[in-house]
Amino acid sequence: MKIKSILVANRGEIAVRIIKTAKRLGIKTYVIKSRKDANALYLELADDAFEIPENPAFASEFLDIEGIVALAKEKKITAIHPGYGFLAENPGFAKRCKEENIIFIGPSHEVIYNMGQKTIAKKIATASGIPLIPGSEGEVKNVNDAVKVAKKIGYPVIIKAVAGGGGRGMRIVEKASEMEKLFKQASSEAEKAFNNPALFVEKYLYKPRHIEFQVFGDKFGNVIHLGERECSIQRRHQKLLEEAPSIALDEKLRKKMGDTAIKMAKAVKYENAGTVEFLLDKDRKFYFMEMNTRIQVEHPVTEMITHSDLVEMQIRIAEGEKLPYTQSNVDLEGWAIECRINAEDVQSNFSPNTGIIDMLVLPKGTNIRIDTGIQERSAITSDFDSMIAKLIVHGDTRTKAIQNTLKALNQFRIKGLKTTVPFFKAVLNNKAFVKGNISTDFIGKELDDPCYHEPEEEMLAALLATVDYHAEATSYKESNLEHDRRKNISAWVLNKRMKSL
Amino acid sequence: MDVKGKRFQDFTKRNEIIKELRGKEAREKQHSKGKLTAKERIDILLDPGTFDEIDAQAQPADAGFGTVKKVMGDGVITGHGKISGRLVFIYAQDFTVMGGSLGSVHAAKINKVQDMALKMGAPIVGLMDSGGARIQEGVMSLAGYASIFYRNVASSGVIPQISVIMGPAAGGAVYSPALTDFVFMTNKTSYMFVTGPNVVKEVLNEEVTFEDLGGAPAHAKKSGVAHFIYEDEENTLLGVQKLLSYLPSNNMEDAPQSKTNGATIGPVDKLRDIVPDDANKAYDIKDVIKLIVDGEKFLEVMENFAQNIVIGFGRLNGKTIGIVANQPKVLAGCLDINSSMKGARFVRFCDAFNIPVLTLEDVPGFLPGINQEHGGVIKHGAKLMYAYSEATIPKITVILRKSYGGAYCVMNSKRLGSDFNFAWPTAEIAVMGPEGAVAILYRKELEAAENPQQFKKEMAEKYRLEIANPYVAYEKGLIDEVIDPAVTRMKLIAAFEALENKQDLKPARKHGNIPL
Amino acid sequence: MNILFKSSDSASTIKYITISDKSKFEVNISPENIIKVNKKVLNVQIEEGTDGFTYIVLGNLKYPMEILERSQNKYTILINGVSYKFTVETPISFNRKKHLEKILDGSKKEDVLAPMPGKIIELLAEEGAAVKENDPLLILEAMKMENEIRTHVSGIVKKINIKPGDTVMKDDVLMEIENNN
Repeated sequence: MKIKSILVANRGEIAVRIIKTAKRLGIKTYVIKSRKDANALYLELADDAFEIPENPAFASEFLDIEGIVALAKEKKITAIHPGYGFLAENPGFAKRCKEENIIFIGPSHEVIYNMGQKTIAKKIATASGIPLIPGSEGEVKNVNDAVKVAKKIGYPVIIKAVAGGGGRGMRIVEKASEMEKLFKQASSEAEKAFNNPALFVEKYLYKPRHIEFQVFGDKFGNVIHLGERECSIQRRHQKLLEEAPSIALDEKLRKKMGDTAIKMAKAVKYENAGTVEFLLDKDRKFYFMEMNTRIQVEHPVTEMITHSDLVEMQIRIAEGEKLPYTQSNVDLEGWAIECRINAEDVQSNFSPNTGIIDMLVLPKGTNIRIDTGIQERSAITSDFDSMIAKLIVHGDTRTKAIQNTLKALNQFRIKGLKTTVPFFKAVLNNKAFVKGNISTDFIGKELDDPCYHEPEEEMLAALLATVDYHAEATSYKESNLEHDRRKNISAWVLNKRMKSL
Repeated sequence: MDVKGKRFQDFTKRNEIIKELRGKEAREKQHSKGKLTAKERIDILLDPGTFDEIDAQAQPADAGFGTVKKVMGDGVITGHGKISGRLVFIYAQDFTVMGGSLGSVHAAKINKVQDMALKMGAPIVGLMDSGGARIQEGVMSLAGYASIFYRNVASSGVIPQISVIMGPAAGGAVYSPALTDFVFMTNKTSYMFVTGPNVVKEVLNEEVTFEDLGGAPAHAKKSGVAHFIYEDEENTLLGVQKLLSYLPSNNMEDAPQSKTNGATIGPVDKLRDIVPDDANKAYDIKDVIKLIVDGEKFLEVMENFAQNIVIGFGRLNGKTIGIVANQPKVLAGCLDINSSMKGARFVRFCDAFNIPVLTLEDVPGFLPGINQEHGGVIKHGAKLMYAYSEATIPKITVILRKSYGGAYCVMNSKRLGSDFNFAWPTAEIAVMGPEGAVAILYRKELEAAENPQQFKKEMAEKYRLEIANPYVAYEKGLIDEVIDPAVTRMKLIAAFEALENKQDLKPARKHGNIPL
Repeated sequence: MNILFKSSDSASTIKYITISDKSKFEVNISPENIIKVNKKVLNVQIEEGTDGFTYIVLGNLKYPMEILERSQNKYTILINGVSYKFTVETPISFNRKKHLEKILDGSKKEDVLAPMPGKIIELLAEEGAAVKENDPLLILEAMKMENEIRTHVSGIVKKINIKPGDTVMKDDVLMEIENNN
C-alpha cells in the first residue's frame, strides 16, 4: 500500500530528518506540537502540526499512545514514523497502529517485544548459534559456584550485582585465588547499595569495542546489512561519537559479523531497519549484546558511506516493497564520523546546559552534513534531551575524516549555551583515537582532559578579562559623562523642582 | 618673599611632618592588615591630582581624662576633589592616627566638609576606618557624633551621601552610615555593629565572631544595612565611582548623561523568549532588565538582600533611571516585609533626586505566613505603596506576567499615580491566580464534579482566557497599551522622554506620615 | 646637558595580575593600549565578525569569545566554547590579598554558598564529617533541576545552616567547612 501521509510521532532533529525524506518522496507530513517546545524547527517544516489534548498520565505528548493513534485516525493519516526514543520500541504502540490499520514504519510488534526482552533475545541468539558473552546466566549462589562458572568461561571474569548498576557491587577477578575475597566484598557492597546481595558472573572483556551492524529486512524474507558502525566513544553508556566503518574490522571479520547480524535478523523474520549490537574484544572475538528495532541516532554515518537514505528505505519497505539492493550491491565508500553536539558543560562533568540559543552558525561544506532540530532563538530546556545538532563529516580515509571533522568543529559557532564541541576536539586530537586504539573505556582511560584547549587560549582569556576590567576601571576617571553644572535647566523644570520642595 | 627664610622653612617642615605621618610606616601598618591607607584610598577614588585637603594640621582637643598625643590631622583627612570631573567632598578616617578615633576636632573637621557639601550642592563620601569614640574626650566625642548625624539628616534628600566602611565601625559610628543614602562595605576587612562580640558574650553569653556579627556578608544578606559589598578596597572605590556616575550632584540638578550610550535602537527579539509560556516557570528578571537598559549595564543595589525584588540603576538613551522589578526566580517574586522595605527606600531615593522609576512587574501576591503577618507585612507593604504614591517623578510600569491582588495595587498601578502602564501579551491581571479563583468561585461545582481535577483545569483555562489577561485592564484604561515585548525598550525611551518635564505638585505639608 | 623630554614606558602603564586557580598572568596596559603579557608585547585585536560573533585575534589565531559573567574583578570568559575563570588584581591588591590570607589562615573556613536560589532537597554530609575536595555536600533544587553542591576544599563540616525543605537565596551560607590543610 502506498503511503500518502506520515504522522511523525517524534520531535527535534529526527522529526526534521524524517520530514525531509518524506517531502522528497511527495508524502505529506504531520507532526505533534508540544507546548514545551513551541518554537521548534520541525513544526515549521511539516505540512501541519496538531496538538494532542494534555493527559497528565504521560510525561510527554509523545508517549500518549491512544492520543497519537486517535490523532492519526481523525486526520486520516496513512502511516506513523516513531523516530527513536519515546514510543519507537514500544510493542503496544506498534500493535495499536496495526489494529487501527495505520502503517507503523518499523518492524512488527512481536519482533519489537521479543527483542526488547533481553532474556528472549538471548534465547533466540543462543538457538541460532550466535555468540553471547559467556557467564552464569543468572545468579550464582556462592563462591564455589562462582569459581565453577569462572573456570568454565576462563579468567578474567567480572562479578556484578543482579540488582545493580553504576559500578557498585562490581569486581574484576583475575584468578581463582582472589575469588573468595572479592566475591564477599561485592556481595556486601551490593547488599548495602541495593538491599540485595545476589551476584552473577560474566566473562570480563578487556577494552571492548562497541560495533553494531545496520540491517534491513523486507517482507519477502530478504535481509542485508549496510556495514558496521563503531560507537565505542561512550560516556555512561551514552554514545557520543560514532564512525563508519570501524578500523577494527577487516573484510573477513566484517563478513563474519555481518553474516551473524543477518542470521539474527532472519531468526526473527525481521522487517524494516534494525541494528544488531556487538561487543568486540581485543582477541577479535565478538559477542551479541542486543538488537535495536528502530532507526538509530547514528544512522547518518551509514548513509554517508553507502550513499543511501535509510528513512526512504524504511518507508518503501513499510509500503511492502522489496529491498532495493542485494548484499553484493552494498559498497562502503570512504569514512564518516558523527559527533553528537549537545548542550552540555564538558568542564563541569557534562552537566546539561539549558537556555536560549542567541546566535548559531553551523558548519557548511561538501563533506559536511548537519542534522538538527533547532535554530536561532530555540530554547534547550530540561523537558527534552540536550541535543543541539549531529555533525556528520565524510572523508576518503579515516585520517581525512578526522581532519575534516576538526575543521567543521572549528566552524561551529553558538552563543547562549556551552556545548560538547571542545570535547570532540579533545577526542579527535587524542593520539590513541587517531591511531584507532579505542574502546568503551576510552573517555575514562585515554582522555586526560575531556576539554580541548587551543594554543594560547587561556592566555587570551586572561587578557580579555584584564582589558575589560581596565576599560571599566578607567572609564570613571575620564569624563564619559555630560554634566555641565552651568548648563541651563529649563525654567519649567526648575520651577517645578523649587515648588515641590 | 624669601623662600629660604624661616617662615618658608616652617611651612616646609610642617608639610614634611604630615608626609612622614602618612608615609611608609603607616602604609606598612595598613597593608599588613590587608587595607590601604586613608590617603591611598582618596587617591584611588578621586580623579588624579584633584584632591585638595583642608584642615590637614588640625590638632586634637585636650583630653578630659588621661592624655592625648598631639598629632596633626586628628585621625581624619578631609577635603574635596573630583570624580569623573564632578565635584565631591570627602572625608577619610585614618586608622594609623590614634586608631582613627573620633574626638571633637575630628568631628569638627567632618562637620566642615559636610556643611560645605550641602552649601555647594555636591555629594559627600565618607571613608570610615575608626576605632570609635575617643574615650579620653568623653561626652565631647559623643557630641561630635551627634553633630555628624544632625548634618546627615539635614543633607538627606538634598545631596547624595555615601558611606564606605573600610575597617571597624562600632557603637555610635554605625549611625552615620545608616542615615546616609548608600553604604559600601569591603569584605573581610570591615565590620559594623552597635555592640560588639565582647558585649554579646558578656550579656547573653553567646559566642560570635566579628565577621559573623557585623561583617560585610552579614549586612549584605541578613540585615540589609549594606547596599554594596566588594571583595577588596580597589573595587569598593571603583563601585563608588560607578554609583556616582548615575546620580545628580543634588536635588536640583539633572543626573549626568552618558555620552557613550551604546544603545541599541530597534526591537529586541530576545525579549519575546525570556518569559516562559508556562506561568509556573521561573526566569531571571535580570535577563529582562539587561535587554532593556543601555549596553546591558545595570548597577544592582542590595544584590544579596531580599532577592525577590531587584532594584538598581541603569540608563535609557543615556539618561539615568531607577528600576524596581519583581524576581520570579526567588520566592516566585512574592512581595514580603524585606522586599517591600527595600523597594520603598529605593523609590524614595529616586524621587528625592529626580530619577525616573521603571517598575517591571511579575508578582503573584504577598508572601503568606504567620511570620509575615506578625512581622507587620501590612505596614511594611504599605511603605512601598506610600513611596510610589508620594513620588512625583516620572513613573512607568510594565507588567510582564503575573499581577495579582494587593500586589497589583502596590507595584505602581495606574490608580496609584503611575504615568504609563504597559503590559505584555503574557500579562495576567486579576484579583487572584486561576487555580485559587476557581477553587473559590466554583466550590460547589467542584465538589459535585465527576472529575474535579479535569473540571478545575478547564475552568482555570476559561478564567485565564476571560479574566487573567491584559485586555480587561486595557479596555478599562488601567493599562495604557499592550505592547510587543520586543519593542519595550523603544516604548520606554519614548515614554520617559515624554514625561521628562512632568509637573506634579502635592499639597503643602511639613511631611507626610509614612508607616515606619 | 638639559633633558627636556624622555619617553617613559612604565610611568603611566597600569599593571595587572590576572589569576585563575592554576595560572597567573602579568598584564601591562599603557595609555596607548600597548599590551604586554608576561613582559611580551602582544599585538591583539578584538573584532566583531560579519557573523555577529566577537573574535579575539592574535597573529594567525582567531577565536570566538564572549564574557559570560563579570562581577567586580571576577570574570568568566568563554573562548572557543571553553570557559575560564579569572580574577584581575593590581600588584598592590594582589600582595594585600596574600597578606590577608595569611592573617585569616588561623581560621581557614570555607563557606559553602548557594550558587542560585532554590530549595534544599537532601543533605549528603553531616556536621563533623570529614569531606574531600569535590565531595557532594547537598542537593539543591533550582528551576526544577537537582544540583549537587560540592566542596572546593577538604576539611571538616563545621556547621550546617540549613535542613531539607528550606528555601535559600543566592549566596546564602549553606555550610561551613574548616579547612584542615
